[in-house]
Amino acid sequence: MIPVWQISRQGLFWLLLAFVAVIMMHADHLPRWVLAASVVAVVWRIQCYRGAWSVPGRWLKMTLLAVCVGGLLLEYGQPIGLEPMLALLVTAYMLKLLEMSHRRDAYLVVLLAFFVAALTALFDQSMVSAGYLLGCLLLVLAALVGLHHGDQPGGTLRPLKVAISLLCQALPLMVVLFLLMPRIGALWSVPIPTHKAKTGVTDSMSPGDFSQLGRSAELAFRVSFDGPIPPQRVLYWRGLVLSDFGGRTWKRTRRTSMDDGALLQWYGQSDKSWDQLIDRRGQPLNYSVVIEPTQQLWLYALDTPLPRSRGVALTRDYRLLANQPLSSKRQYQVQSWLDHSIEVGGLSRDRRAIELQWPEGYNPRTLDLAREWRDKASSDRAFIQRVLGLFNSEFIYTLQPPLLGQHSVDEFLFESKQGFCEHFAGSFVFLMRAAGIPARVLAGYQGGERHPDGYLLVRQYDAHAWTEVWLENEGWVSIDPTASVAPERIEGDVQSLLGSEEGFLADSPASLVRFRHIGWINRLRLEMEALNYHWALWVLGYDQMQSSVLTRLLGKISVWRIAIALLGTGGAVLLLIALWQWIPSRRSTTNPIDRQFILLCEHLEKQGIERKPGEGVRAFTQRAASLRPEMAELLRSFCEQFESMRYGGETPQDILLEEKLRALRRAK
Amino acid sequence: MKTVIRNLYQQRFSRWLERRLPAAPEVTLNRRSLFIFPSSTGFAFFLLIILCWLAATNYENNLVFAVTCLLVSLFVVSILQCFANLSEITISCLKVTPGFAGQGITLELLLRQRGNRYRGAIQCRFPKGEMTTVSLGDSSQCRFKLTVPAGHRGLYNPGRLRIESVYPVGLLRAWSHVDLNISALVYPAPIFTEQVPVGVRSSDDGAMQGAEGGDDFLALKTYRPGDSLKHVAWKHYAREQGLHTKHYGDNFDQQLWLDWDQFPGLDREARLSRLCGMLLRVATTDQPYGLRLPGIVIEPDLGESHRQYLLAELALFDVPQRERQQ
Repeated sequence: MIPVWQISRQGLFWLLLAFVAVIMMHADHLPRWVLAASVVAVVWRIQCYRGAWSVPGRWLKMTLLAVCVGGLLLEYGQPIGLEPMLALLVTAYMLKLLEMSHRRDAYLVVLLAFFVAALTALFDQSMVSAGYLLGCLLLVLAALVGLHHGDQPGGTLRPLKVAISLLCQALPLMVVLFLLMPRIGALWSVPIPTHKAKTGVTDSMSPGDFSQLGRSAELAFRVSFDGPIPPQRVLYWRGLVLSDFGGRTWKRTRRTSMDDGALLQWYGQSDKSWDQLIDRRGQPLNYSVVIEPTQQLWLYALDTPLPRSRGVALTRDYRLLANQPLSSKRQYQVQSWLDHSIEVGGLSRDRRAIELQWPEGYNPRTLDLAREWRDKASSDRAFIQRVLGLFNSEFIYTLQPPLLGQHSVDEFLFESKQGFCEHFAGSFVFLMRAAGIPARVLAGYQGGERHPDGYLLVRQYDAHAWTEVWLENEGWVSIDPTASVAPERIEGDVQSLLGSEEGFLADSPASLVRFRHIGWINRLRLEMEALNYHWALWVLGYDQMQSSVLTRLLGKISVWRIAIALLGTGGAVLLLIALWQWIPSRRSTTNPIDRQFILLCEHLEKQGIERKPGEGVRAFTQRAASLRPEMAELLRSFCEQFESMRYGGETPQDILLEEKLRALRRAK
Repeated sequence: MKTVIRNLYQQRFSRWLERRLPAAPEVTLNRRSLFIFPSSTGFAFFLLIILCWLAATNYENNLVFAVTCLLVSLFVVSILQCFANLSEITISCLKVTPGFAGQGITLELLLRQRGNRYRGAIQCRFPKGEMTTVSLGDSSQCRFKLTVPAGHRGLYNPGRLRIESVYPVGLLRAWSHVDLNISALVYPAPIFTEQVPVGVRSSDDGAMQGAEGGDDFLALKTYRPGDSLKHVAWKHYAREQGLHTKHYGDNFDQQLWLDWDQFPGLDREARLSRLCGMLLRVATTDQPYGLRLPGIVIEPDLGESHRQYLLAELALFDVPQRERQQ
């Protein structure tokens, strides 16, 4: 018998296994040396168990701790941030695993394991990694069970079996809690995972940026509309407004406020004065977007949007912004009025200056051209038509345009005449500004793939840049110069247009999108897509759905109803588990042969012959036989049969006893 | 003051326990008799749940929220499991092996259940005794022994058996205090002296006579100057066991009496201890022996049951009737 405070062999086995699984889950966002140290820790622990190596002494432990903390400081410089904190936790987990000797230590290791495992969900929320996370939690639970198993025989697998059964019992209640527990918003701001640069639209645009995105088939976001999906040509997903031109690169304006007040109007806030400048007409489109993590703040919506979700704001330049960087998938609801006009009344001097700005000393030929054409044109509209006509007649839309030098617009307009959307948008806005028309570049996505289940998939290769010009009496008007060059891009989809080009999807060699012309692969791809979509919508984005789900389930959302539903369903689930716990064990208790004897006893008891406590089978049947001589023969044979099957080694066949019992019943 | 309050509290608690769980030779654990409360690990687990919830809320991450829900429901389920681990176990005491004062008594306990549900890591302990961990499952019952130190001679009640378990996950502790109505005989602590029992020739009716002298070997005693060299046990001397003399007596039809009056001037317990020591020694020989205590005379006899009878008499001598019944 081992002392109760010791860590059992089974416990240690499962603890080590769980450790390996949890660390592997974090392999991507831990320094390499922490991983190496983890391997050493596991090996060391195993060798300690085998008695080959000695347990680290006090000084060695101190040194290890100092080395690890020092290493983390060198690695990260500052302790603030999710990765450094995670690395610190993992280090603590590793060192504790190495030095634990008491069961108390093992409990601490298990709690750390649970927490470190849970944190993986901050980095990756895909369905696959969620499944892996569940597996890790199961292993940790098995370790916890194993700690109490002692070293009695019963197999190393028994803790796992117990853990599986516990987990299965916990899952229904977990679902109830997940559905019903109210979510409150973030209590304070937290450091977010600092990911490696992700592909996606960034807040600056240089020639070549968008053609780069054409190389990736990664998903950007999914949209489900309340009604039918609008036609492809109106699907301009506005994400960024780039007003600041540096000669080569377009950027967001750095202004943090405008003359008419704050730049953000959060959902639920009272309207800002500039909100009155938008004239929204007709029925709005209602839709919800599930966006993949971008680590950025901006969100995508159709013009002109109004957020319908908490934590989303409308900006002064009529796009949407989230309250914190998108470190994980996020869902938000939007209303958009396709029929709208904005700032018809005019732009303030300050605003005009922003939207007309260009740097001196760049693109002189374009400047001359713009001034010359504007002078000849009868109106702004006519000028715009002439520029678009130029694009239409002489330019080529391609994913692999030639590289451009310092005077990028000049080179593009007069020499190469080949470009992707950013070339057309950038040079168009520059031409407009040079002619005195306020204009700006819009960046985002255009179009998307229609899933048979009725929603829209927007991928990185749908990234697009277009423009907005401000015209007298019309306000801001969207113009897409690319549409003049390659109308198929806007009407159809990118793939049919660019699919044959060399660079297209070059960064997604294994993407199933490449094989969409093969029927069954395409169906498989769409099925997986649908599964992922529902995962994102119902699990990852459940907090957005919760109120509507609860309204449907409970009729009305109130604290009382939620509490009652929680207690009711939770209690019912637990009651079922409790019943399930007891019924099978009761049923299996009696040996079938004994059962026949018990039935006999019940039968005789009805006739007034009660078995005394401690009275054996033989004694009882003999006594009964003496009281009921007419049954004596049957009772004697029952007793003999019983004894030979129960104790005499004869094959137990309760059917034989059953027959005798039936005969006894008839004998009455 | 503190101890007064604590004692008062303990008294009240034990009285309440007495009413709730009265003593019985066989106790089946159930809702009435089992208590359950989070262990310290359970409270640490609460902390973990709060941490996970904070992470889920601040990162607005539903997957972490799901993990939090899972941890909560694991805790809730483990309440059921921990309770079920002890529930419906029947405890009884099979055998009480008496012991000597200052040493311990051994209790053989039986845990049994209907069916063959696995019940792990059940810890059993008497208030002052050692702890034993057993598990049930592969068979429907489990026998094990527990040793409890016994203080005084007499009838000893080892108190309530504490049976507890944190299985399966250690987050909760279920326990019960079971009074199995055990009373164990505790013999006097034996003291071995030089004195030997008084021998009486059975033919001589009641006439007292010294045991010394005669033909039959009686016992070995340490050599005292003046002892006959003929009686020195040279064999023992050669084995370097010291110098002893062999004492002989007429043994054939002699009865030995362990007599209260052999130890004049000593108090009751000291006499009983010496009588006990003498009894243990004489029981290894094959001479009949009897016991004389004030008011009690047990005729000489032989055998294990006789020995135990005498030991019991020594254990219970002068023990008030009330305590005996307990």
